[in-house]
Amino acid sequence: MKLVHMLKYFINILFLFSCIVSFSQKYDSQSTDTIIKNKYGLRVGIDVFNPVNAFFDEDRKGLELVGDFRISKKLYVAAELGYLENTTSEDFINFTTDGSYLKAGVDYNAYENWLNMENAIYVGFRYGYSTFSQTLNSFTVNNDAFLDDFATVENGQKFDNLNAHWAEIVLGIKAEVLNNLYLGFSFSGKKIIATKEPEGFKNLFVPGFNRVFLNNSGFGFNYTISYLIPLYKKDK
Amino acid sequence: MKINFIRVLLIIITFITINSCERDDICIDEITPHLIVRFYDNDNNTLFKKFSQLSVKVMGIENDSLSFSSTDSILIPLKVTDNSTQFILTLDSDQNTFIRDTLTVNYDPSNVFVGRSCGFKTIFNNTNYLLDSNNWIHNVETITQTIDNETGAHVKIFH
Repeated sequence: MKLVHMLKYFINILFLFSCIVSFSQKYDSQSTDTIIKNKYGLRVGIDVFNPVNAFFDEDRKGLELVGDFRISKKLYVAAELGYLENTTSEDFINFTTDGSYLKAGVDYNAYENWLNMENAIYVGFRYGYSTFSQTLNSFTVNNDAFLDDFATVENGQKFDNLNAHWAEIVLGIKAEVLNNLYLGFSFSGKKIIATKEPEGFKNLFVPGFNRVFLNNSGFGFNYTISYLIPLYKKDK
Repeated sequence: MKINFIRVLLIIITFITINSCERDDICIDEITPHLIVRFYDNDNNTLFKKFSQLSVKVMGIENDSLSFSSTDSILIPLKVTDNSTQFILTLDSDQNTFIRDTLTVNYDPSNVFVGRSCGFKTIFNNTNYLLDSNNWIHNVETITQTIDNETGAHVKIFH
């Protein structure tokens, strides 16, 4: 598990660097005299990480729908809606988090496209809200090793009606691979603003936020495949 | 301009990420507290009194005894899965004579969540002590009924 997390982390970093590299191409691009019309519409898709990951990892099941709507040449209103059931296994505790979440915000496309291309390298901001439950499956009381009484307590205690609010900065790329079909990758840094903690336990994982670190921060990434439903065209 | 804007954002995001990667995988917080016993002089109740050699056997535990030498304060673990822990305290005086007393500690254990890496710890409420004989221990005096930290002694033993 640790290795997988490390690999995920390094892959994320590589993607970040790939963004920097892709900017160097921009120096060559100059606008042409022809008027380029941009496609406007509703782009809907899914996050493919969770469905694919479910084949390898039984501890994480979820689905996330993503969507954005272009409101100007560079601005998109974006939202994600998802459901996630995740089991976290630590040295002394094992718990399952189950819930749904909604994130809403804007994406700003900072990439100057060639001609009629519709790719994006964007930054975005999100407000996230999740409502969920935590089930403490088992725990071991952390006592002096001398006693050898590391008996695992099968608990099954469920904490309902929990919630969390957080803010998120997103950095991502979207590429139009076929007409109106986009592949995307994004990385996000998050910080919890407010959360309803369970009594006698803690929200160590929040759906849509993922692992909650000590200082209430977290990060995540998305691999999306989405389809643009073109509604109209504008020249800027 | 655009490139600078993106670079700045990349730097911000990188910082958030690095900031996020703080280690909470290692348990450094206080876990289940030990019972801290302080040894006092039976003749003068305000003076600490050291023993030369003491072995503490925890009943029901396969492990060897815990050994302490020439100190007036010991830390011994309590069972978290039980309501009591029984200790056989064997004093080995200089003449190689072994004298033992049995101390039973009764309590109500309760589990408290510590954190991701430490999991749960147990604290002990309504603690009381039973001494079955007075071979070398004359008296036991409770200092605090709640054992939830290791900052001070919980019980006095007069010998």
